[in-house]
Amino acid sequence: MWWGGRGQSFNIAPQKEEPEMGLSGPKSVEGTGMPEPRSRQLGSCLASGGLPGEQILAWAPGVRKGLEPEMPGTLICSNLRVTFQPCGWQRSQETPLSSEYDFSLANIGRLEAVNGPSRVQLLRPGSLLKFIPEEILIHGQDFRLLRVGFEAGGLEPQAFQVTMAIIQARAQNSPTQQYAGITLSKAGQSSDSRKPPIPLLETTEDWETERKKQAARGWRVSTVNERFDVATSLPRYFWVPKRTLDSEVRRAFGHFHQGRGPRLSWHHPGGSDLLRCGGFYTASDPNKEDIRAVESMLQAGHSDVVLVDTMDELPNLADVQLAHLRLRALCLPDSSVAEDKWLSALEGTRWLDYTRSCLRKASDVSVLVTSRVRSVVLQERGDRDFNGLLSSLVQLLSAPEARTLLGFQSLVQREWVAAGHPFLTRLGGSGSSEEAPVFLLFLDCVWQLLQQFPAEFEFSEFFLLALHDSVRVPDTLTFLRDTPWERGKQGGQFNNYTQVYTSGYSQPLAGNSINPQLSVWDWNLRYSNKQILQFRNPGYDPEHCPDSWLPRQQPSFMVPGPPSSMWLFSRGALTPLNQLCPWRDSPSLLAVSSRWLPRPAISSESLADQEWGLPSHWGACPLPPGLLLPGCLGPQIRLWRRCYLRGRPEVQMGLSAPTISGLQEELSHLQELLRKWTPRISPEDHCKEKNPNTILSQSR
Amino acid sequence: MGGAPAASAGGRCERPPLLPRVAASQGGGMLGKGVGGGGGGTKAPKPSFVSYVRPEEIHTNEKEATEKEVTLHLLPGEQLLCEANTVLKCVQEDSCQRGIYGRLVCTDFKIAFLGDDESALDNDETQFKNKVIGENDITLHCVDQIYGVFDEKKKTLFGQLKKYPEKLVIHCKDLRVFHFCLRYTKEEEVKRIVSGIIHHTQAPKLLKRLFLFSYATAARNSPATDPKKHAVMFDTLQDWCRELERTKGNVKYKEVSVNEGYKVCERLPAYFVVPASLLEEDIAFFQGRGIPIWCWSCHNGCALLKMSALPKEQDDGLLQIQKNFLDRIYKTIHRPPYETAKTEDLSSNFLSLQEIQMAYSKFKQLFLIDNSTEFWDTDIKWFSLLESSSWLDIIRRCLKKAVEIIECLEAQNMNVLLLEDNASDLCCLISSLVQVMMDPHCRTIFGFQSLVQKEWIMGGHCFLDRCNHLRQSDKEEAPMFLLFLDCVWQLVHQHPPAFEFTETYLTVLSDSLYIPIFSTFFFNSPHQKDMNVHQRQLSLPLTQSKSSPKRGFFREETDHLIKNLLGKRISKLINSSEELQDGFREFYDSWHSRPPSYQGLLLPHLEGPEIKVWAQRYLRWIPEAQILGGGGVATMSKLLEMMEEVQRLQEKIEARHHSQEAPQAEAASPQRTSGRLSSLFPFALLQRHSSKPVLPTSGWKALGDEDDLAKREDEFVDLGDV
Repeated sequence: MWWGGRGQSFNIAPQKEEPEMGLSGPKSVEGTGMPEPRSRQLGSCLASGGLPGEQILAWAPGVRKGLEPEMPGTLICSNLRVTFQPCGWQRSQETPLSSEYDFSLANIGRLEAVNGPSRVQLLRPGSLLKFIPEEILIHGQDFRLLRVGFEAGGLEPQAFQVTMAIIQARAQNSPTQQYAGITLSKAGQSSDSRKPPIPLLETTEDWETERKKQAARGWRVSTVNERFDVATSLPRYFWVPKRTLDSEVRRAFGHFHQGRGPRLSWHHPGGSDLLRCGGFYTASDPNKEDIRAVESMLQAGHSDVVLVDTMDELPNLADVQLAHLRLRALCLPDSSVAEDKWLSALEGTRWLDYTRSCLRKASDVSVLVTSRVRSVVLQERGDRDFNGLLSSLVQLLSAPEARTLLGFQSLVQREWVAAGHPFLTRLGGSGSSEEAPVFLLFLDCVWQLLQQFPAEFEFSEFFLLALHDSVRVPDTLTFLRDTPWERGKQGGQFNNYTQVYTSGYSQPLAGNSINPQLSVWDWNLRYSNKQILQFRNPGYDPEHCPDSWLPRQQPSFMVPGPPSSMWLFSRGALTPLNQLCPWRDSPSLLAVSSRWLPRPAISSESLADQEWGLPSHWGACPLPPGLLLPGCLGPQIRLWRRCYLRGRPEVQMGLSAPTISGLQEELSHLQELLRKWTPRISPEDHCKEKNPNTILSQSR
Repeated sequence: MGGAPAASAGGRCERPPLLPRVAASQGGGMLGKGVGGGGGGTKAPKPSFVSYVRPEEIHTNEKEATEKEVTLHLLPGEQLLCEANTVLKCVQEDSCQRGIYGRLVCTDFKIAFLGDDESALDNDETQFKNKVIGENDITLHCVDQIYGVFDEKKKTLFGQLKKYPEKLVIHCKDLRVFHFCLRYTKEEEVKRIVSGIIHHTQAPKLLKRLFLFSYATAARNSPATDPKKHAVMFDTLQDWCRELERTKGNVKYKEVSVNEGYKVCERLPAYFVVPASLLEEDIAFFQGRGIPIWCWSCHNGCALLKMSALPKEQDDGLLQIQKNFLDRIYKTIHRPPYETAKTEDLSSNFLSLQEIQMAYSKFKQLFLIDNSTEFWDTDIKWFSLLESSSWLDIIRRCLKKAVEIIECLEAQNMNVLLLEDNASDLCCLISSLVQVMMDPHCRTIFGFQSLVQKEWIMGGHCFLDRCNHLRQSDKEEAPMFLLFLDCVWQLVHQHPPAFEFTETYLTVLSDSLYIPIFSTFFFNSPHQKDMNVHQRQLSLPLTQSKSSPKRGFFREETDHLIKNLLGKRISKLINSSEELQDGFREFYDSWHSRPPSYQGLLLPHLEGPEIKVWAQRYLRWIPEAQILGGGGVATMSKLLEMMEEVQRLQEKIEARHHSQEAPQAEAASPQRTSGRLSSLFPFALLQRHSSKPVLPTSGWKALGDEDDLAKREDEFVDLGDV
């Protein structure tokens, strides 16, 4: 297909290319070019850096543009990825993937070939190249841009070959495909005592440890879904009220959409519990006992129960997907929006609006959880998208623990990965129409918090970017599957499973819980130690260390009687409910539509206002320690420029200087100097910081 | 009452001494405030007491309330004009009548509200307070609009009133909004206070009646700091001479005293600088019009000049004379040693004052909100509302114009001559912006203040008219100086390490425009000021509330991450319009593709996402905008802590370096400030130590009956005691 001829894809205006040509045309490339010796180098480089099963399809020498200074190197297309390998760069054995130079095939969002100032061809699967490509532009779905000018103006046949190879490889690439072999090679290196960097929550022990950490004494780990027969989308283990029997759990869960009944997400140290569950399954006809089981699980021993209609005031999946597409179009380097129309174009994407809705709702729910001892139940029909988003945000706002590097990763693992967020489908991997980057919306929300509370988070913006970029790198199964069941099937987890039940089959490795499966949290697959060091926020200065916490006030799980107050939280206000379950009388929760609507004017007083007289009378009463209430006003929700505008190098420049990290450097430099002069000054304080391992694997 | 004896220093006091809390209880309550910092009652804190009592009930408490009442503190020369009691200052929500009761007074300097129950402040807070203007004080010049509420309807108030409103809503120029409910006030008091306030804020005023003069007379004896310590005043020939030397402009330009005593014209300052070859008699020819006046010289010798246009004439003969005159002038400055000059006509093809005024009035409406409901409503269309005000676009255009001029000076080696009718509006703006970007000296506090003094005060910017201080005509009003500060803010925001001052400095400076005890911003020209001020020199307050990062403190190489991403733009033009010269683009691009050097030329980013709202100035009074424990302030304490540490280590190393002795006493470890600040710090103060949890008594829909509430009480997490 010839797209360029009709002019739609000529977003790169001709005159815009001119200075480019003047400054760094093909001529300058020739000066540095020495194709022959490089091709010999290439063989050795690739041999050392290739993944098992990786085949080089084509390669061509070129110059990476859009960076200062321009970088000569080689563009390589393999059956797994596209790599720009700069001259003299050697892939380290330690990090088989590069976050800087690799583009996984799944990540390629748009491919363009350029010849001269006026000829641009959009390359789609099956496209035939219509001209000699001087330059190739690869727009990543993660907003990165790879722009390579070929040597000799693309006249060498390699340029043509590599371009065609990329088109084909991309067309053949299946998103479910994993970089096989990394697991093996990586696991082989440290097979003896490899533990996952964070608990993957695939064993009862992990759940038990986490439960103890949260001091959720009224809860226990249920093994009812060990064979995934309650729900494949649920994890094998989850937390249920201590007093509920597994048989009751099984019975109660049957009355929820896709078997996703109420489970504990987080236990607030003040005594409240945050639960999540799917929608009530209307077609079912539960008997009295079933209803009692459901009610007691929702009630979780509290006399005050609040059902939160998760989808109320939040965008639906299609909204999120559309907003993200618009945002991507807006942030393309050649987007044609005039400077003075930028703001309304940004508003038109609605992405920031959705971010705001999520933050506001999360803020309200954290107020609910903190202000009284009660059970707060997040209810979303599917329980696999916005429940996870909301519950994670609430924990970030209320629990200082979740704001540490380790805590955040555990949080994502628990509320997203283990809870069965359909990553593959939502990120467009399964080809279904239900694509919606809910997880990326979540990351944006976290970024908003990070920039509103720069001293409260242990991780940095760079870490969030790394996570953002990891969702499409098929190195681990973390984001490549829709359910824990599929992930386990693929990861060979069921070998362990069968092993448990067919005792006798002996494995060479000691201990039956060793799982060679790598996760996205194995950062050193893609990031060098130096990069991992930047995951830490130098400005982290928690006002409240995780130890000083609200008084441990345990709710009495003694009163099994019916809840004395039941509320529905919707549109920023609580309305009383007559009953928790919809089945007895006809008018029900389900009647409440989950349409995204602006908050009605009457409830302008935020929940925090109502609870603590904030913020109208700011300072009238201090907030509970550790609780963050984000600002959600128009001017306070900002664009994550370092992420979305990465393709536009001019925007990246001069982003306000990282003053604290600058100071920190200065500080360690001075300490270094001082240490040289006085060796007895103990070096421990800054050495500690320099080791990336300590950062990621602090004692937990 | 022990009120206000020692406080006559009026805003000149240094850090207020910490007084024991005991003094604050009964009659002595005022003592603390008075000594506090000259603001006295004006330093009223944000109410820490919230009245949930029904208005009917308050009357029973009235006596008690008046006993506790706070007395008003007056500045030297300030006179009380009228007052009203039992005024309810409402929280900005119309639905519920929450607020505090107190006394509303109007003096010839300010409108002040004195709350009934004001506990003494903690010293943490007072140290960041404005010394002159308290939280509930509005200087008369700061009042923007006054509205009255009659039966739920809001109307603008002006002139003689037939009916008096039940509620007074005051919008301030610094974007505060006050609601004073007068329903429980005696009728005659209402009449007096409302008409008093309207008269004193809205009626045209004579220059002579400015509070400035009464203050200056009354405060004559208090010691003044020497303004020269804070800025070059440019009121002597030597000041100009030194400026010429500093910029190495003295070869081609000379300072002249031809206008001494304002003999030639009243628009120009007594001393200024012109090309050396210019004949002095030419200056007088058109009363200083048509003469290139020097602003600043660039390192390559090129200069920025400004010229006010000749009067428009119909008569052919006169026109011919004008033409001949201009030809002669141009010839003198086009000859070597002068570079070729480019004329930039700011009167046409650029912004008009009306445009600026209109954009700002639209823009400020976004922040002048009466209640939070309005704010929630605007959230969704926030960006398009912002865009439609086009204030940000005007900022972009000003910055861009400055960059274009810099490109001429720097890359094309041309002089630039700015042309404007009076050379006192856009000329001031553009030429100061150019200097801030090109001359690192102007990015220090001293340099910046000198720049304001040189370009704006001596440049004859009509502050009186542009701020409409005398309320004589709305037509002349235009927020030029604010526009300049906003442009500078963009630069500070984009390149914080390049500036010695922070955004807080700029915010405080913008507030000074409306405080009539400083003469700086209350005259139309140096001539007018000299004619009126025979008293002592009152200058700009140099209250800087925060320490700012030191210039040159950081190493210049930026984070390697960012460096990797540097690069030339791929295809994006600054502006799609074709009027842009290639030269400009190339200049702009190439500067941005290098790592910025904070000691030299500094250019702003002009792209859409880069021009932002000066949140500190515009959002600081909106309670909903506050982020507890967040915002830039959160890192500030960490930053200061680290800077102290760095300094300490540097000193140690220095000591080591010079003498090989071991360092002596270990410096005390930096003090930790405790508690969370709010993002609106230092303008809205948060740290209160109230320990009583507020029981939610409103808002909860259908809370259930009393029994229910009592039952649940035991489950209530008592947050106050944590």
